[in-house]
Amino acid sequence: MSNVISASNLTLAYDNGKKEVIKNANFQVKKGEFVFITGPSGSGKSTLLKSLYGAIKPTDGSLIVGGLDLNHISKRKLQELRSHMGIIFQDYKLINEWTVAKNVVLPLIIAGYSTDIQQTQAQKLLRHVKLTEQANRYPLELSGGEQQRVGVARALSKNPFLILADEPTGNLDEYSSSVIWDLMENACVQLGATVVVVTHRIPHIFNTPHRRLIIENRGIYEVH
Amino acid sequence: MFILPLVAILLGIEFSLVFNRVTHDYEEKLKANYSILVVSKRAISNEEFFSIDPQIADPKPIKKGSIAKEIAKNIGSVSTKEVLKSLPYFYTIHLSNYLSSEEVEHIRKKLLAYSYIKKVETFGESHSSKYNLFIFLKVIFWVFVSLISLVSIFLIIKQMEVWQMAHKERMQIMEVFGASVMLRSGVLFRMGIIDAIISTIISAGLFAGIKYKWADESGIDLLIEKKDILFTTQDLIMMIGVALVIVIIAVIIVTFSNREIRE
Repeated sequence: MSNVISASNLTLAYDNGKKEVIKNANFQVKKGEFVFITGPSGSGKSTLLKSLYGAIKPTDGSLIVGGLDLNHISKRKLQELRSHMGIIFQDYKLINEWTVAKNVVLPLIIAGYSTDIQQTQAQKLLRHVKLTEQANRYPLELSGGEQQRVGVARALSKNPFLILADEPTGNLDEYSSSVIWDLMENACVQLGATVVVVTHRIPHIFNTPHRRLIIENRGIYEVH
Repeated sequence: MFILPLVAILLGIEFSLVFNRVTHDYEEKLKANYSILVVSKRAISNEEFFSIDPQIADPKPIKKGSIAKEIAKNIGSVSTKEVLKSLPYFYTIHLSNYLSSEEVEHIRKKLLAYSYIKKVETFGESHSSKYNLFIFLKVIFWVFVSLISLVSIFLIIKQMEVWQMAHKERMQIMEVFGASVMLRSGVLFRMGIIDAIISTIISAGLFAGIKYKWADESGIDLLIEKKDILFTTQDLIMMIGVALVIVIIAVIIVTFSNREIRE
């Protein structure tokens, strides 16, 4: 199976390369895999995730995502790559002035899909995350769990090849967390999307074991 | 909302345009009505006058016939011709610009430096009071316009900060999902352009009202006679242009200062 993510001798740093958080890391993620990246707080998990959607450029080594070298990527190509990804944040990052339905189809709005397609897709996605009733409400009127379901629906709206999630259940109770994990696992199994989740605590709800990577002492290692 | 500071800036610009046209017109009038009297022992050609000072314009000799006739009548034994011969040459000269009292005095001294010029009358007192009033009005106006512009720029900067706060998160989220700059800032451009159009309509409406309604009722001769100097089509084009340039610059600054999500 082909690699969706391929990092070799990857170094990530802040402050113009002075503060290294990841050094000479090597790892690959194959198409359709569900991978957890764990590690203690401040170990560089979020930094690694940001580098996967091009918000942080590698200081050294190479990072290839979806066949594109993120060291040498134009703005236009990066926009295109991001439009084929689904990104889920711990604090949801929904647009509070937009309705739930509009938030869900943000990637379709960006891609210039017609209003009809946007509406159909919004209904389908909201049904999928069980938020049909909330379509015309605003994010701040929803609970944390509901907001994150909107976040997941948004991430799935354009059938992404890669879903990146940064502590997606960090702010949620146990029940809401299990709903979110179910939705993400379904996305992996049913849509064939590759899922990379950064979290400090791996949930126990999964029946099948998933691949785990751990960030320790600036390196990224496989957990067996 | 950009409307208030934009209206203030547009009114300031339009006021300064109108003021410039009014003062230019007034200056022309003052200039046309002001002349210097030169008394010379011999005739002076126009070229000679122009070579003395380039600001000298339109020199004209004063006809001495009637003066000579009057003198001859009073003396009795002398003919008009003889009186004419003995009388000096009189000239009135105008100035190409409306000069300050110091500059007028400088020209007077230059003229008197020629031995054949016997007297130069500049009517300094009347000129000086008109000139000082004119300059005072100009200074007061420019101070007023500068203050309005300064306050407006401050308001625009504040509004940009408000925009930055209000749209930062939305623009950053859109950027993460691959939206182009134009798409991210589309809402701001739309709002800015609408504000620019509304501001122009308000400002232009005000001046159109002054031109077509208030000017006639004001009883001010200058405004009634020269209504065209109050508001022109070019002014309208310039207003919308300035308003659009201001909002576009503001939107670009706001857009490019909101980059990427920082945790």
